[in-house]
Amino acid sequence: MKHTLFILLQNESGALLRVAGLFAARHCNIDTLTVATTHDPAISQLTLVMHGSAALLEQVVRQTRKLVDVLDVNTLSLVGDEQRPMALASSA
Amino acid sequence: MNLPLPTAAPSPAPEAPHPRAGEQLSGADIVVQILVDEGCEVLFGYSGGAILPVYDAIFRHNAQHLRADGSEPMPLIVPANEQGAGFMAAGLARASGKVGVAVVTSGPGATNLVTPIRDAMADSVPMLAICGQVPTSALGSDAFQEAPVANIMASCAKHVFLVTEAEQLEATLRTAFEIARSGRPGPVVVDIPKNVQNAMLRFDGACRLPIPGYRARLRATAQAQLGDDACARFFTALAQARRPLIYAGGGVIAAGASTALHEFATTFGIPVTTTLMGLGGFDTTHPLALHMLGMHGTAYANYAVEDCDFLIALGARFDDRVAGVPARFAPRAQFIAQIDIDAAEVSKVKAVDWHHVGPLRGALERLLRHGRARGAHPDFSDWHAHLAALKRDHALDFDRDSVLIQPQAVIEAINRHTRGRAIISTGVGQHQMWAAQYFDFRAPRHWLTSGSMGTMGFGLPAAIGAQFARPDALVIDIDGDGSIRMNLGELETVTSYGLPLKIVVLNNVGDGMVRQWQKLFFDGRFSATDRSLRRKDFVMAAQADGFGWVRRLERKDELEAVIGEFLAHPGAAFLEVMIDPDAGVYPMVGPGKSYAQMITGPFIAERNESAIASAQTADMF
Ligand SMILES: Cc1ncc(C[n+]2csc(CCOP(=O)(O)OP(=O)(O)O)c2C)c(N)n1
Ligand SMILES: [Mg+2]
Repeated sequence: MKHTLFILLQNESGALLRVAGLFAARHCNIDTLTVATTHDPAISQLTLVMHGSAALLEQVVRQTRKLVDVLDVNTLSLVGDEQRPMALASSA
Repeated sequence: MNLPLPTAAPSPAPEAPHPRAGEQLSGADIVVQILVDEGCEVLFGYSGGAILPVYDAIFRHNAQHLRADGSEPMPLIVPANEQGAGFMAAGLARASGKVGVAVVTSGPGATNLVTPIRDAMADSVPMLAICGQVPTSALGSDAFQEAPVANIMASCAKHVFLVTEAEQLEATLRTAFEIARSGRPGPVVVDIPKNVQNAMLRFDGACRLPIPGYRARLRATAQAQLGDDACARFFTALAQARRPLIYAGGGVIAAGASTALHEFATTFGIPVTTTLMGLGGFDTTHPLALHMLGMHGTAYANYAVEDCDFLIALGARFDDRVAGVPARFAPRAQFIAQIDIDAAEVSKVKAVDWHHVGPLRGALERLLRHGRARGAHPDFSDWHAHLAALKRDHALDFDRDSVLIQPQAVIEAINRHTRGRAIISTGVGQHQMWAAQYFDFRAPRHWLTSGSMGTMGFGLPAAIGAQFARPDALVIDIDGDGSIRMNLGELETVTSYGLPLKIVVLNNVGDGMVRQWQKLFFDGRFSATDRSLRRKDFVMAAQADGFGWVRRLERKDELEAVIGEFLAHPGAAFLEVMIDPDAGVYPMVGPGKSYAQMITGPFIAERNESAIASAQTADMF
């Protein structure tokens, strides 16, 4: 199942490394990752696409929320058949 | 005696400004001032080029603030290796609940700290590591003794700061302490380039970094109250239970919740088993105590887990040394409840029916009030009788008739003197498990062991740190011949600082724990674990390092007398005991096995036929 994570991050040195490192350390493959600044230069927005079970998503989101510079994490997941997705489910 | 952790909320601006607010100070002097402000009374570290300004500031601080008795207010203890400094800081933290501080130089100094930092992370120990770094102008240039410490430590620590703006140094250090002790505690690394240490800065006295996400989550967790509904659901389930069991982990100790746990367990008559990390969180001599569960837990604790119908996990995380097969862990539990400070631990390994994320002490007190107010008075007397029988029939035991000295007998002999009141540290291996099994643990912060990482070499430096935290306490390092060699250089640290530490090496001439696995899973081929041809003479080593009492014990009939003499010695004492090299650690729940398949070994009665391992287990760890 594919999941998109929207991560708001304080723009600190090493913050991106910590997020990417967490996913690597927890054996969670990142399919795509984009980083953009927001209207607040102190905050970046990370958009990250990964695949894996709902349980893996839940665990990695909870771990991401423990990172000191992370402000917020939201997710969007494909529900149903990967070839023919039925809907998008989001969770805070 | 367990220090409550300060609540996590950002401290409001202090009423009175800091007495030094507004002063011009160097970065290095600011480091020292923050350490003083945060209550740090001893530092551990090794010097080097990139940390020289901080070391100089510490020297000047100590020289200017000598105590009336001539002692330094913040002595800097120098180990043989930075790994030793890290474990000393961790030992101090584990024994006291305070943040342990290590201060090292860049490059190799910092990388030598990786193992203790990871160890502290894995066991949720609050620590601060201050590392010197090459000047900001040289960062990223492969300069002399440059290592990407922020990158390396980011994977190991709770958080890492690389201070590139000198103006941020003060706020960063204060915030680092806050992060280390708040929430689920852990190690924080602050990497400080040398020019930042030398910069002249205006001292503010109160500033902190904005870490809004972290603080907001912390506040939400700290304020999460167990509602009446949640309490009611808990007690409804408890009322239906006939065999409830508390499974308490290291979180009980980190949360300062052992008194609350005692009240809770005794009020409702719920038996308690603890993890390796939870030892001391509940008095093991109490009638409701079942001692340790898990891979090498007591048979009766593991049988209780098999039999319980209601499991209450408190600050425990179902790790693989406890729940090797999560699906078959506590198989008869109709209801599992979990309280933890870390939301990520809830249902991580095993789905639970009821949970609360928040500080454990408050949650237990809340449940206690709720239950008391509603007159909850469950009758578990049948269960108590059942467990009493299990404790009687499946007590820990070993080869008491052997002519060889059994390691368990050594621990029992020491325990007859200490009665759960000594601070015990260990290496990793069989000796660690025998110590966990055969000592009494009556209060928190008396058991210092590398649980999650299982780091050999932990015992001696951790004991040194603990002795600094508790100068009047009896601190004993129960070590293995393999483990102690890993940081043997710290023997001389003990005597140089005049510590009255007691060291016991249970010498089985090799890596006993690994040999136990090789016996079980590799047809007894002792690849690289037999030390019988090695030349190490521990007695001469301890003598060379100035131990005033040194002894090698080889005769069983001398055990009692020698232990008495050893513990009575007022100063540093070193005892090597030549133990039965074939002694095993039992019970054992093999890797990938369920508790029903526990092997109790030749000296502990087994309850039912254990399915002997036929499956391929060599790839299980
Ligand atoms: C740093 C480190 N390296 C390797 C291991 C793997 N290991 C676990 S126990 C053990 C043997 C320990 O030997 P010793 O300290 O003599 O303890 P014993 O089991 O003999 O009591 C080894 C090698 C480890 N835990 N830590
Ligand atoms: Mg050994």
